[in-house]
Amino acid sequence: MAEMSVIWLRVAAVLYSLGLLHAILTLVRRREHLFDVALGAFGLGSVFHFVSIIEEGIVNHRWPITNFYETLSMCAFLIAVLYLLVHWRYKVESLSVFLFPLVFVMALVATLGNPVSAWSSPVVRDTWLTVHIVLVLLGYAALLFTAVASVVYLFQERELKAKKPRKFYYRLPPLGTLDDLISKSMAVGFVLITLAVIAGSTWAFVELKTAWIQQPKIVISFFTWGVYLALVCLRITAGWRGRKAAIMTVTLVGFSAITWAAHARLGSLLLK
Amino acid sequence: MKLLITGVSHKTAPVEVRECLAFREETLPAALADLKSRDGVSEAVILSTCNRVEITVTTEDSSDPRAIVDSFLADHKAVSPGAGGPHFYRHEGRDAIHHLFRVAASLDSMVVGEPQILGQLKAAYAAARNAGAVRGWLDGVFTRAFSVAKRVRSETGIGQMAVSVSYAAVELARKIFGPLSNRTVMIVGAGKMSELAARHLRRSGASHVFVTNRTPERAVEMAELFQGTPVDYTRFTAMLPEADIVIASSAAPHYILRKDEMLRVIAARRNRPMFLIDIAVPRNIEPSVNEIDNVFLYDIDDLQEVVNANLRERMKEAEHAEALVAEEVGRMMARLKAAEVAPTIVGLQEQLEQIRAAEVEKARRKYGPFTPEQEEAVEALTRGIINKIAHGPISELRSHAGHPEGAHVIAAIRKAFHLQD
Repeated sequence: MAEMSVIWLRVAAVLYSLGLLHAILTLVRRREHLFDVALGAFGLGSVFHFVSIIEEGIVNHRWPITNFYETLSMCAFLIAVLYLLVHWRYKVESLSVFLFPLVFVMALVATLGNPVSAWSSPVVRDTWLTVHIVLVLLGYAALLFTAVASVVYLFQERELKAKKPRKFYYRLPPLGTLDDLISKSMAVGFVLITLAVIAGSTWAFVELKTAWIQQPKIVISFFTWGVYLALVCLRITAGWRGRKAAIMTVTLVGFSAITWAAHARLGSLLLK
Repeated sequence: MKLLITGVSHKTAPVEVRECLAFREETLPAALADLKSRDGVSEAVILSTCNRVEITVTTEDSSDPRAIVDSFLADHKAVSPGAGGPHFYRHEGRDAIHHLFRVAASLDSMVVGEPQILGQLKAAYAAARNAGAVRGWLDGVFTRAFSVAKRVRSETGIGQMAVSVSYAAVELARKIFGPLSNRTVMIVGAGKMSELAARHLRRSGASHVFVTNRTPERAVEMAELFQGTPVDYTRFTAMLPEADIVIASSAAPHYILRKDEMLRVIAARRNRPMFLIDIAVPRNIEPSVNEIDNVFLYDIDDLQEVVNANLRERMKEAEHAEALVAEEVGRMMARLKAAEVAPTIVGLQEQLEQIRAAEVEKARRKYGPFTPEQEEAVEALTRGIINKIAHGPISELRSHAGHPEGAHVIAAIRKAFHLQD
């Protein structure tokens, strides 16, 4: 990608990141606080994004859709424009919870197409990777907590539906309390995993140059993050609780386990 | 010191007997003063509630507490435990303490675990104190009973589960929503039962109440009662997505809320849970509504079932509570035993120490002054002698504490060592 084009795209990604913040706040507070600001930033971001794409086309004298990064950038841009149009016509705030973070991550990945110079020092490299690992582990802990709370929720819900109080009914906490816990731990987990994905992908980008995106474990990571995003979105927009939410959370734990397994050799990289 | 509790309760006497024996609050001070003034009575407490009347007295060892209480009851209530026969129970000594602890912990109540009895017992104790009928010994026993009751309440779940239908509804609402603050209640059909349930919910923190009724005047009236909002009966379903808790008790002969309607409501609520309480007969809400995710529908029988389960759970908790009370009684008895012989032991030790000090002084005047080494040797020698002498009587006192013959042993030792009373 052309140098200026990447800079414009980075500016766009920074503006899009406000959308991610909006999604997280909505999950925690259950009310749309930051929507207007995030929407403004999103619109402005899409302008920079547009500039980036035009710049890329002018510099290379061709349509900027010839490699993975260019197509990803274009795809993110189209989603952004489509959302802005649909929102202008139909006022669909709820979709933003899903689309804002998605467009942000797509734009972020698209900026990582040009190889940069190698690590300034091995300490930075190792610290960066350690931060990534710590974030992932904390994120997994929050996710596991969410899963356990979801299963407990399921039990208590069954008890209440069955109308015949048994041991669980008396011992388990109220549904409302569990629901609150699930929302909070899910939000914390999502923030941690998102930061971990950003840290991990940028690390891999510097380490492996342009080849980073072809790594299966990175593809799996993005997929798992996508599932997490979908879960967060369904919870906010459709209020998924009980059985559906429990199944989905447990599925997410499964994907996370696969992702973990795919990364199991990461530790050895630290010793390289 | 003798302790006796004489009484009748819902378990031993019908209301006709209990009402004859009850002491009204205003007659209590005079009755306490009379009881206290009787020969041999040291302390007295009278507990009078709708479910029990109990007279607690402590007397000197030489008096017969049964005879005293009999004559007191004969004078005041024209009935005596002798004549009252099977209705009366009497508990003495350890039994009496055990009984008092059980009563305070609400293990002897009609609804096991109900909290009122502790308050009533505290009031009876306070009345006795004000009348000057309690001084020292019963203070210790009653204070202990109150803390045992507190311990039972905090360490077992005996008072936690609702045992009335309207309160069970509140408890279920708490199980669904957690704290009820910021929850909205809608009453459909302004009846007595729904009013009671709404009152409980409001007291538990529910923030707003909507009331709808076929007769709008009644809805307005009831809405005023809860500072709520009356809603037009023909349009109340439009307001349903706002309501977290719905209490239905209208006299409609058919279902007024059906499954398809509720599916729309819950979608509009984005699946936020809803608690529907149907206390109407015939029922107001289609039973299959309970199949919808995040909707919890309870009819009057379901609520009764919860109450029954709660009662069974309370009985289980009561078993733990009984063990706890038994343990506390053991502890109290050990403490009382120690307190009974403690003055004699202290007196004995002081007496011997006085003799020793006087004899050492005499020797000092005759043979002194002693060198520090000699002083030390004399101290050690004389102390050794009095400790050896005291050992026998002290261990005898300790082993007989609390036994019937304990009083004789104490008296004999006091006499032998010339201890002052």
